[in-house]
Amino acid sequence: MQKRIKSANSLRSKSEIVLRNTVVASLILFFLVFFYIPIFAAFYGSFHLWNPLKGQFKPIGLKNWQTVLNNSLFWFSMKNTGVFSIVAVAARVIIGLLLASALFSKLVKARSFFRMLYYMPTITPMVAVAFVWKNMYDPQFGLLNQLLGSKINWLFDGRYAMIAILLLTIWKDFGYAVVIFLGGMYSLPMDCFEAAEIDGANARQRFFRITLPLLKPTVIFIVITSFISYFQTYIPVMVLTQGGPGTKTYLASYLIFDQAFSKYNFGYASAMSFILFLIIAILTAVSFKAAGENGQ
Amino acid sequence: MKTMRIKSLVLTFLLLAFSIITILPFLWMLASSFKTNAEISALSQHFLPQNPTWENYENALSKMAFLRYFLNSLSYAFVLSVITIYTSAIAGFVLCKYEFRGRQMVFGMVIATMMVPGVVTIIPRYSMMQYLGWLNQFQALIIPSLFTAFGIFLMRQSCTAVPDEILEAARIDGANEFYIFHRIVIPMLRNTVASMAIFQFLWAWEDYLWPYLMIRSESKQLLSIALNMFSGRYSTDYAGLFAATSIAIIPVVICYLIFQKQFIQGIASSAVKG
Repeated sequence: MQKRIKSANSLRSKSEIVLRNTVVASLILFFLVFFYIPIFAAFYGSFHLWNPLKGQFKPIGLKNWQTVLNNSLFWFSMKNTGVFSIVAVAARVIIGLLLASALFSKLVKARSFFRMLYYMPTITPMVAVAFVWKNMYDPQFGLLNQLLGSKINWLFDGRYAMIAILLLTIWKDFGYAVVIFLGGMYSLPMDCFEAAEIDGANARQRFFRITLPLLKPTVIFIVITSFISYFQTYIPVMVLTQGGPGTKTYLASYLIFDQAFSKYNFGYASAMSFILFLIIAILTAVSFKAAGENGQ
Repeated sequence: MKTMRIKSLVLTFLLLAFSIITILPFLWMLASSFKTNAEISALSQHFLPQNPTWENYENALSKMAFLRYFLNSLSYAFVLSVITIYTSAIAGFVLCKYEFRGRQMVFGMVIATMMVPGVVTIIPRYSMMQYLGWLNQFQALIIPSLFTAFGIFLMRQSCTAVPDEILEAARIDGANEFYIFHRIVIPMLRNTVASMAIFQFLWAWEDYLWPYLMIRSESKQLLSIALNMFSGRYSTDYAGLFAATSIAIIPVVICYLIFQKQFIQGIASSAVKG
C-alpha cells in the first residue's frame, strides 16, 4: 500500500497541524482523566479503608487484598464468572456463525427480514427484557414451563438458576454476533467463494476451508470483546436472581457492585475489581498470542 | 436444480423456526401488556389477552411520569450518539491518515482501554463526579463518554478505505483539513456512521448503572432505571412493566430501521482484517 510521504513538517498545512494537535491532545487528556487516572486511583484506593459515605480514606496496607484472597465467595463468584463466560461466548460464536453463514448463502430469501428479527433482542434494553424473562421463568404462570410442560422453579432452584441467566444472555446477544460475522463475510474476497464453487467444493467444505479461516480475525474479535463484556455481567443477575438462591448465581461483577454501591466498601471493591482486571488482561494477552501463533 | 430448491426450503424453514423462538418473548410481552395483573398471574394461562385493555398504557403514561423519563432517555441517547459518532470519526481520521511521531502510541493508549472492565474505573469516576459536584447533572452522563475506544477503532478501520489520492487532490485544490474531513471524509464514512448510530443509540438507551449512580432526582431520571421501579420489594407490576417496555423499545427499533440499510456494509467496511 502506498503511503503519503511527508518527510518534513513544512510540507504540512497549518490546518492539518491544528486538527492533529487538537485531536491528539483531547484524546490524551480524555483517556488519562477517565481511564488511566481512575485505574491508578482504584489501585491506590485498594490499599485503603475507603468509604465515601463516612468520608473514610485510611491506609490499611494489604488488608483489603488479604480479605479478598481469603474470601471464598469471591473465588466462588470468579469460578461462576468463568463458567458463565465460556458457555456464553461459545454459544454466541457458534449460533452467530451458523446463522450468519445461512444468511450469507444465496439460498435464502428475505435475508434482511431474518436479520432484523435476529437483531431484535440485541436492540432491546437489557433491563426491560430481563423482566420479561423473569416473568417467563415464573414456576406457576411462566411461559417457559407451559411450553416445555415442565414444573421447573427456574430462578429458585440452584440447579437451574445459572442456566436461566445463561439462556437470557445467549438469547439477548447472539444477534450481535450474527451481524458482526455477516459484516465480516461481506468484506471477504468474493472470488474465493466463486472459485471454490467452480471447483466443486460443497457447502461444508467452503465453510470450514474458506470462510472460517478467512474470518478468523472477526472470530477473535468477537471472542475477546465478548469475554470482556461477559466478565462484567451484572443486570441479568440483578433482575433475575440477586445472586440467589443462596449465593449460587453470584458473578464477580455483581459481587463487586454490591460491595461498592450498596455497602460502600470502595477500597475492598477496588481490590476485587483489580483482580478481575488482571484476569481479563491475562486472558486477552493469551488469546492474542494464540491468535498470532496460528500464523496471522 | 431441484436439490437446490429443497435445500433452500429446509434452510428457510430452520431460519423461520429460530426466528419464532427469538421473537416469542416479544410477542408474549406485547400480548401480556393488554392483560390485567390478575390475568398475568392467573393459574390458567392464555397467550392472547381474554379481555384486552388499554389500562396499562394509560397508567404508565399518567401515573409514573413515563413521558418525562422517555424524553430524558431520548435526548440522552440522541446527544450522546451524535457526539460520539463525530468524535470517533475525527479521531479515527487523524489516527488513520496523518503520520506523526507517537501515532501508534496514542492509538494503543486508546485501544487498551477496551479491555478495562467498567468496575475498575467506575468507583474513582463516581468519586470524581462527587468531587466536581456533578452528581445529578446531565454533564455527568455526557462528559465521561465523549470518546469511545470502540468507535475510534471502527472509524479508523473504515478510514483506510478512503483513498489518499482524493485527499491529496482536495489539498491541491486548496481545501483545508477541516473542509476535507467534513465534506469529503464524513460522507465516505456514512456506512460506519450508520452502524455506530445503531450501537451507540442502543448503548445509551439501555445504559443502566452509571445513570443510576449519577441521577438522583425524579425529573432527570432515565427510562431504563424507571423500568426497574415497576419491581417492588415483594411483587412486580408486570402489566405496567410490559406496557412500558413495549413503548420503550420503539425508538431503538426506529433507529435500527433508519440505519439498517448501511448497517451491515458499515460493519463490513470496518471489519477486522488480520
